[in-house]
Amino acid sequence: MRGKDVRLQDVVMRFGGFTAVERTTLTINAGEFFSILGPSGCGKTTILRMVSGFIRPSEGKVLIGDQDMGALGPARRPTALIFQNLALFPLMTNWENVAFGLEARGVDRKTRRDRAFDLLALVGLQGHEEKSPNELSGGQKQRVAIARALAVEPAVLLLDEPLSALDLKLRQYMRAELKDIQRKTGVTFIFITHDQGEALTMSDRIAVMKAGVVEQVGDVDTIYDNPRTPFVATFVGENNVIEGRVTATGDGFATVETPHGMLRGRDQDRLSVGERAMLFVRPERSARVNGVAPDNVFDARFERRDLEGSFVNLFFKAGADSFIVHEANRGGHGGLEGAVKVGFNAADAVVMRAGEIEAEADDA
Amino acid sequence: MSTQRQGRDWSTLVLDIYVVVFFVYLFAPLLVMSLAAFNAYEYPSVTQWRGWTLQWFGELARDDRILQGVVNSLIVALGVILVALPLGLSGAFILTRLRGRYNNLLYAILVSPLLIPGIVLGISTLIFWGRVDVPGGLFLTVMAQGSFIAAYSMLLFMARLQRQDRGLEEAALDLGASSFFMFRRITVPFLMPTILTAAVIAFLQSIENYNTTVFAIGGDWTLVTEIGSRFRFGLSPVINVIGVIFVVFTVIAASVYVLQKERERKRKLAR
Amino acid sequence: MHELLRSYGRTLTGVFITLTAFWMLIMILLPQAFMIEHSLWWIDRDDQLGMRIDRAYSDMGLLEFDLGQADTPEGKADIQERIDGLKADIAAMEAEETAPPKHYGFDNYTKMSALHFEIFLKSIGYSLAVTILALIVCYPIAFTIAKLSTPNKAALLMLGLIVPYAINELLRVYAWLMILDYQGVINSLLAWLGLVSFEDKSWVPFLEYSGSVFVALIYAYVLFMIFPIYNTVETLDRNQLEASEDLGAGVIRTHLRVVIPHAKPGIAVGCIMTFMLSVGSYSVPQIMTRGKSGDWFSQLIYRQFFESQNWNSGAAYSFSLVLVCLGFILIMMKVFKVGIRDIAK
Repeated sequence: MRGKDVRLQDVVMRFGGFTAVERTTLTINAGEFFSILGPSGCGKTTILRMVSGFIRPSEGKVLIGDQDMGALGPARRPTALIFQNLALFPLMTNWENVAFGLEARGVDRKTRRDRAFDLLALVGLQGHEEKSPNELSGGQKQRVAIARALAVEPAVLLLDEPLSALDLKLRQYMRAELKDIQRKTGVTFIFITHDQGEALTMSDRIAVMKAGVVEQVGDVDTIYDNPRTPFVATFVGENNVIEGRVTATGDGFATVETPHGMLRGRDQDRLSVGERAMLFVRPERSARVNGVAPDNVFDARFERRDLEGSFVNLFFKAGADSFIVHEANRGGHGGLEGAVKVGFNAADAVVMRAGEIEAEADDA
Repeated sequence: MSTQRQGRDWSTLVLDIYVVVFFVYLFAPLLVMSLAAFNAYEYPSVTQWRGWTLQWFGELARDDRILQGVVNSLIVALGVILVALPLGLSGAFILTRLRGRYNNLLYAILVSPLLIPGIVLGISTLIFWGRVDVPGGLFLTVMAQGSFIAAYSMLLFMARLQRQDRGLEEAALDLGASSFFMFRRITVPFLMPTILTAAVIAFLQSIENYNTTVFAIGGDWTLVTEIGSRFRFGLSPVINVIGVIFVVFTVIAASVYVLQKERERKRKLAR
Repeated sequence: MHELLRSYGRTLTGVFITLTAFWMLIMILLPQAFMIEHSLWWIDRDDQLGMRIDRAYSDMGLLEFDLGQADTPEGKADIQERIDGLKADIAAMEAEETAPPKHYGFDNYTKMSALHFEIFLKSIGYSLAVTILALIVCYPIAFTIAKLSTPNKAALLMLGLIVPYAINELLRVYAWLMILDYQGVINSLLAWLGLVSFEDKSWVPFLEYSGSVFVALIYAYVLFMIFPIYNTVETLDRNQLEASEDLGAGVIRTHLRVVIPHAKPGIAVGCIMTFMLSVGSYSVPQIMTRGKSGDWFSQLIYRQFFESQNWNSGAAYSFSLVLVCLGFILIMMKVFKVGIRDIAK
């Protein structure tokens, strides 16, 4: 099996008066694990359905391995889709499910049976071949669905939030499993999810979408460390947000006047003085200030402490802003009561033009 | 509080008695009819009792018109199944997928045969095919019965299709199935239980239909129209024998159904 | 339609559309249209026509005889002219006899005789009564099965309803013939009580009353009222009943304010089915009158078709029946505020 690249060229998708996907150009490289991350209703599933051929874009082209897919239906594209609810055929045994694509291609029974057994072995389901999908656990069903999709030797595997129905433990296990299968097969994976943790752990690259627009495409570190927009900054991982007005720029840094004093961070939008700006800094790059002071320091009041296990979340309040600090759990978190000083280094903070951040309630 | 309690018991008692009376009302006539089949009196009666006999069963076995009627009924029922199921299924597919204002209109037209009297269906079929010189007979009976039995099966199929997971069909297409292959391998197996139910219901509806058939049957006859004409000429306990056979068949079928249900329930509990 | 094409492809979608179109046009709409068309014309057959033709021929024979006897050329010409005139008349009359003129109009509807019209109204009236009575009889039963029984008991009761329903309508009604017959079960009972006597034939002739058709109609169609009501009441949340009782509502108020509003669609369907089946029933009156004349509207229609051979007025009567049912359905939809989707389910 070999993956192929997928290119969307000036693709637009409209349903009646509603534009689900604004003009988008996107290249997904052959053999990479690519995630499309965004809240529900952002248009990520629409992109997936355009690639798989269930819908045709209102404008633009979808190319897979340099070939224009045009009006080709899902049956004739080199893609296979793993559905959110898996869509296993309940009236067939597991091996028949896996062999379905081959059956549709007219492969004889013996060959397709052998192939299905091989694939079920690959996903670790020996001994379950003759059972019905309904007799399997959630994780096992997941694997049947993957084997079924791989049976047709797709160049591109499309996954529509396939882990969302699983419980936390299983989900984490399946992440590794999926990544492993992707590496073994070399197939291009396009993974749709609203869970940023999922996207970060598995992907080579990520596209973050909001309201039909791709806000940023990049490898996982870029997305995490250099978010391009306030939405990406807040949707991917946690970020402290402080709003203010730019007072000075230079050397790739910007100084922002905030209610907590002057704060400095990397200037990624080449802001001009006087513009409204937002400063983002990750909780794990923030700290309580005891001895050596970082670039930015301000006063805050301690609110509460949540134990997460290996680290603790410390919640502070500075004026109307909340400020969170992650601290490694080394025991002994005394001396927090009342007013303290918190801070961070300018190199760890990003300043960008003020914009829309992720709404709290959307955090599914 | 206690008076209210008592009032409640009273009304429950009244309701229970009412239910019992109602079921006596339903079953007593059937008992009367069945009993007369065994009375050695040539006019169907339970009041003029001339002793037990099975002679009417023998006479039924020799009654060629009735036997031919049974054969004709079976032919018609088979024809109705073959006509009504594909029509009902097609209508259901279109109605579950068609959006917009024509949906309700089409729906109203397709279910209308259920809402107008059966004799009208027979008459309109007779007149329509009369124009192209097709006289009444078994074919017209199939057409007339089919028009409303197809509506029954359509409603059954629609109920089933509403519970369909469209994802399964999409998954099949995505895996490279042609629409034909997908239909045969995914859609039909999904609909199979309903196809069987619809066939049984179509069969029963067709066999027992009188009002529509009597207009469309022309010179031919089915079991039921033959029974109908016997009321005019030659009313005899042979009719009661047919009734007894119907009752026995129904009770057997019902018992099998109940036992089946019970076994299913036990199996579920055992799991 | 797009959706259909996408999942089932052109061929299958084509098959579905063709079959549905066949059903809609050939089995539903066109037959109705032809029936309506049939009801809008009649053949003006002159009963006297044959006699008039015969008379014209004999007149012509006389004239031909006169023609032989006539002596003056003028007289001959005169008679010849009259013969030609007669010949033309005969030709016209014979043409009319073989192809009588067809007239369009509403006469088939408006010329319904007073007797037939009375039967029409009586059938409607009886059917309405059957419907109301069936509703009163069935509502408690449906409610009991749906809400007051344990699942096992309910299943058994349902079976008890389905068994008689599965037995042929004719045979079910036939039982009542035996019960109401001159020497039937009821008269025997009365005789045993000494109220009537078979010897002097003082039995009560129940079958001669149209009430007997009424009794049998209720028996035949009662079940069509129960099932729809049961289906809707069954979906009512038991907690609603308890909430109503808890808030202090009595049994009657609970039914009026909670159960009946919920069961509306079922009640509407039950009424529509019962009414439609009763008013259009041919089997029940046919059996209760032992296939003899009888005075139910459906029997009238049957006679128009197969005894008077007057298909035109038969079609008109039949369409009147459709209009009555249609009117009833619309009224029920209005009264119960339900849509067509709720009705045919």
